[in-house]
Amino acid sequence: MAEQEEQPITQPDPPGSGQSRTGRAVSIARLLHRECTRLLQLYKEKETFLSDHTPDGGRIVSLSSESEASSAEEQVQCLHSALRQCLGLLHCVILKEEEEWGKLEGDYETMRKNVRTRLEHLLHTTKDLVETEEMILEVTPDHQCNEEVDGAGGLFGLKMWTYRVLLELIHWSDHAAQTLHVLHREREGTEEI
Amino acid sequence: MPRLAVSPSSKPNCSLIGLICIFLTLSATHTHARIAVTIPEQVSLLASMNTQQLSISWLGGEATTFDLIILRTEFNETVFYGTVSVTVNQESGRHEWNWTSAEPLECTSLSVRIRSRDGQMTSDWSDTQILQGSDVPSNKDTQIYPQDRIVPVGSNTTFCCIVAEREVFGSIQYRSTVMSATRLSRRTYAATVVNQGPSRASGTNVLCFTDRSSSLSGAVVFVGYPPQLSDFVCETHDLTSTVCQWNNGRDTSLYGKRRTRYLVNNRDCTNNSLLQQQTECSVPQWEGNWTLVAVNSLGQYSLTDSAELSHRVCPVAPVELSSVVHAWNATVQWQWKYSSYSSLALVCQVEFTAGGYKTKRTFTGVGLRSAVLSDLHPVEDYSVQVRCGAQQNFWKWGTWSKPISFKTKTDVPDAPDVWMWRNRDGTGQVIWKPLTQRQSHGQITGYSVTFWNPEENRQHTVILSQYTIAVPFNLTQMAYLSGDNKVIASVTAKNADGMSPPASVSLRLPDVELPAASRAVYTDEGFPLSWQSNANATCSFVVEWHETSCTYDCPVDWIKVPAGNTNVSIESANFQPGVRYSFSLYSCPSDSPELLQRWQGYTEELVPSGSVRLSSSQQGSDILLTWRSMPMVDSRGFLLGYNVYISNGSQLTLLANLSDLETSYTVKGFSMGSYKFTVKAYTSAGEETGTTVIIAMESYSDWLILEILTSLGILSLLLVIATFICYKKRKWVKKAFYPDIPEPKLPSDWSSAQGPLDVKPSPHSMVHIVEKPEWDSSKEMLVVIPEEDEDDDGQGIGDEPVDTDEPTSLRYYNQVVDERPIRPRFPDSSTSSASSLDSAHTDVTYTGIQTSGSSLVFQLDPQGSSEGHQPQAAHSVSCRGGGYQPQMQPRAPSDDMGLASAEPLLEAQAACSGGYKPQSSWHFDSPMEAEERGSLAPSLGSPTSIASTQFLLPDGEEHGEEKRQSSSAATWFTNLLSSTKP
Repeated sequence: MAEQEEQPITQPDPPGSGQSRTGRAVSIARLLHRECTRLLQLYKEKETFLSDHTPDGGRIVSLSSESEASSAEEQVQCLHSALRQCLGLLHCVILKEEEEWGKLEGDYETMRKNVRTRLEHLLHTTKDLVETEEMILEVTPDHQCNEEVDGAGGLFGLKMWTYRVLLELIHWSDHAAQTLHVLHREREGTEEI
Repeated sequence: MPRLAVSPSSKPNCSLIGLICIFLTLSATHTHARIAVTIPEQVSLLASMNTQQLSISWLGGEATTFDLIILRTEFNETVFYGTVSVTVNQESGRHEWNWTSAEPLECTSLSVRIRSRDGQMTSDWSDTQILQGSDVPSNKDTQIYPQDRIVPVGSNTTFCCIVAEREVFGSIQYRSTVMSATRLSRRTYAATVVNQGPSRASGTNVLCFTDRSSSLSGAVVFVGYPPQLSDFVCETHDLTSTVCQWNNGRDTSLYGKRRTRYLVNNRDCTNNSLLQQQTECSVPQWEGNWTLVAVNSLGQYSLTDSAELSHRVCPVAPVELSSVVHAWNATVQWQWKYSSYSSLALVCQVEFTAGGYKTKRTFTGVGLRSAVLSDLHPVEDYSVQVRCGAQQNFWKWGTWSKPISFKTKTDVPDAPDVWMWRNRDGTGQVIWKPLTQRQSHGQITGYSVTFWNPEENRQHTVILSQYTIAVPFNLTQMAYLSGDNKVIASVTAKNADGMSPPASVSLRLPDVELPAASRAVYTDEGFPLSWQSNANATCSFVVEWHETSCTYDCPVDWIKVPAGNTNVSIESANFQPGVRYSFSLYSCPSDSPELLQRWQGYTEELVPSGSVRLSSSQQGSDILLTWRSMPMVDSRGFLLGYNVYISNGSQLTLLANLSDLETSYTVKGFSMGSYKFTVKAYTSAGEETGTTVIIAMESYSDWLILEILTSLGILSLLLVIATFICYKKRKWVKKAFYPDIPEPKLPSDWSSAQGPLDVKPSPHSMVHIVEKPEWDSSKEMLVVIPEEDEDDDGQGIGDEPVDTDEPTSLRYYNQVVDERPIRPRFPDSSTSSASSLDSAHTDVTYTGIQTSGSSLVFQLDPQGSSEGHQPQAAHSVSCRGGGYQPQMQPRAPSDDMGLASAEPLLEAQAACSGGYKPQSSWHFDSPMEAEERGSLAPSLGSPTSIASTQFLLPDGEEHGEEKRQSSSAATWFTNLLSSTKP
């Protein structure tokens, strides 16, 4: 897979700029998806035993109300909640990895930092899109990182859990791009971003 | 068993007592043995999973020696069996013994039994004590042990994989290497990794695969080194606290939680940064003695240091730097972070950078806070930074301060560096080097050049722009300024702050005779030039240089050498390889420059770029090659000589190496043909491509012919002269070579001569016909024809001596005569001839018998003739005609022998055919006689047709033609001589 071009992390564009807010959110989600994919690739390069392994087990992050959400706004609100959990998981991965392996400065660590920042940016973007007076959305990580990472235990278990978290990030960033595109289509009436 | 000695007869009571004693002794011994070999009880197992150590304790009574057996419970395989000596732990009252397992204790269950031993006596085994492994059915999942183990580099580790229930073991991989596994129990497999290398930050993965593809179990092992530090030293920055530093040495390969932790004097100095390995630790006070302990999971390392505070002062970096700037100096000021420095004697370094060059200056003082930087340059950008150390008990320099920058003020320019260039015609240029930024001290606004005569104190000033670096002069036009052609040129530069000091140079006509230039050899440091100097000389020197090929208004460069120096190395970025430079040393450049010495040299000699202009010319069989010497620009090095080659196809063959720089060469000894020559000039770098000339050698036989013709011409001229002389002296010649023929003298016995007799017959004599019977049948007859006196010297007579004073001999002509008589030359003779022909006899008629003598009749003896002319006889061997063979002129062996031999052969052939061949030597003695005889002459030299009296041989016959030609030439000469006859 070709290496993705790294794009700068920017704050939301001011009102009146060329791209709509929903369109910008879709772009951020798509960029996040690409970066999460690249992050997993870098992690597999470090832990080569994962290259041909597909873990079993269900999702770490799941939404009970996802199927019940009817409107696009509600789906984005659910997505926002899932992304918060993903951010919490990523925070926990960073914390545990730095604790176990030390603060390293390789490509994986740099991309991991980028994904965290991009995910925070997307959370702020979705919050701005669907937050209402009745529905106050938070952007802080929704994970305490004080529980055992996986049943297997040990540092090998941490690696397996990290792998699952990265897969989860890919899944939810892709889901975010699709959900936000639906919202964009409804609000803007066009497929174009 | 000791044997008992019994003596019943002598002392029965004593024997009984002895037996009792023995029984008691044995009984006591047996009782003691039973006490010592009691069965161990309350066996207890305590496992340390991390160290894989099993601690076994039991109650063993008084026994100190025990047999232990450890088995893998499932397969009942013995892991350990041995006898150990164990003492009782005084605290617990139990026997304790530790055993370290090769495999992790979780791998499978172990059974332990113990028995006491006393020598050969052992107790019964204790009850089996089992250490439960992780492969018990209650743990259904796949597991691998050990987990997260930290081991030193080079160690061996055994990993075991407990396969999940209803799964089949696949393999154990260490990194990506499949290990050889052994089975320990129903679900447990083990593999040992030997000599492990250091792992990365996230450890080394060990994986266990089963037949279920989605099942992946593993462990992480960290392989590293224990800490190994060096260079532990403590110092103070603030004169109160302590900062200790060390060198971590090799990387331990252990990071994060497993990183090395540090303690200084038992205080944890480990920082919270996980980014880098720690190398520094701070202690709030000065303790004088410090111990550093570095610890990680694999070991620890300690270092100590001790010192007084005053010996370990390392000042912090000065802060808040500022400056006060002037044109030539500046003052730098700074502040200290700690007030305690105000009483500290400091030594400080001020480093300023200008134009890429760094300079350090040192200042001292108590609580030093400023420094004056002198000898700076005007209008120069400086960057300054400061660092300090303790002046007393100096320990080390502190940290450099943050640099500050300033620019010095402007000032008047420096004097320009002036020199001149003089042409031969009295013109020239005053040249100066543009002032650099460091010399101009501000923006240069212009230059002024003043020409003045020191004696007459007259001057002329020229104002020039700031971009001008030369001004022309003409000394011949400055005659009004100077009578002796000496002019001083002074150049000053000007900027906003004023005029520079003047720089002068003395102008004179150049020296007529230049000193010979010696050769300068370029080195890595330039052209090293040296010269002899007068010890009393106070003048400085100038060494100028320019391209040697330049002669007029040359771009010249120069360097000034202070007085007293006798050598300098000349280096310039403008030097080009292959260009000859001339260097000239002048003394007293500003007063009266005098050319002292000259050099020439190349930075690098190259092969010549041009070629010689080659020409060639033929000189007989030699070839002269000439060429012009190569221009200096093209030679690109000192010419060492020329190589002359001859080209053979594509190959050049060296003919000559002319190292004396000759410009011609003669190649000798060539025959006709085309030749190609190449001449190449060469320097120390090699030879140039060369010039080729092709020359076609013309045949020099033309020259030979010309020489022959010339010789013939000269010979002809000599002949003409000789003829002229002879003509003038013809009387003398006639007398000397052609005297009057004396009257023959006939002795009385003249007829008895044996050899052929030459008779000079008189033209009017008749020859009697003598009958010769042998020739009768053939009707052939020999006719003797009278012959006029001639100069034939008797060649036809062969080698026999001939008296040349006698009249010429008669000549014989072999002639076949038919019935008709030969036409008589005179009526008288014809009558006799006719009568003779009518008879059947063969007659020989002699005509021309001298009137003064009687007619002579000879009977010819052919035999005698053949004897006297043997060569002719040889040629006539093949003849069948048997006729007469004409006499041949005998010749001495010579170069033309071949030609001479062919002629008789032809004559012989003619004789074979029976034909007639006239004698070639027949001719008249004089034109007068020829004229006189008229038509008679041809008949004498040619056979005559019987019917028509015509000559049988045509006049155009080649041989006869040649004879006639030679006869004509002889006739002409004879005529010449005959003309002298009275």
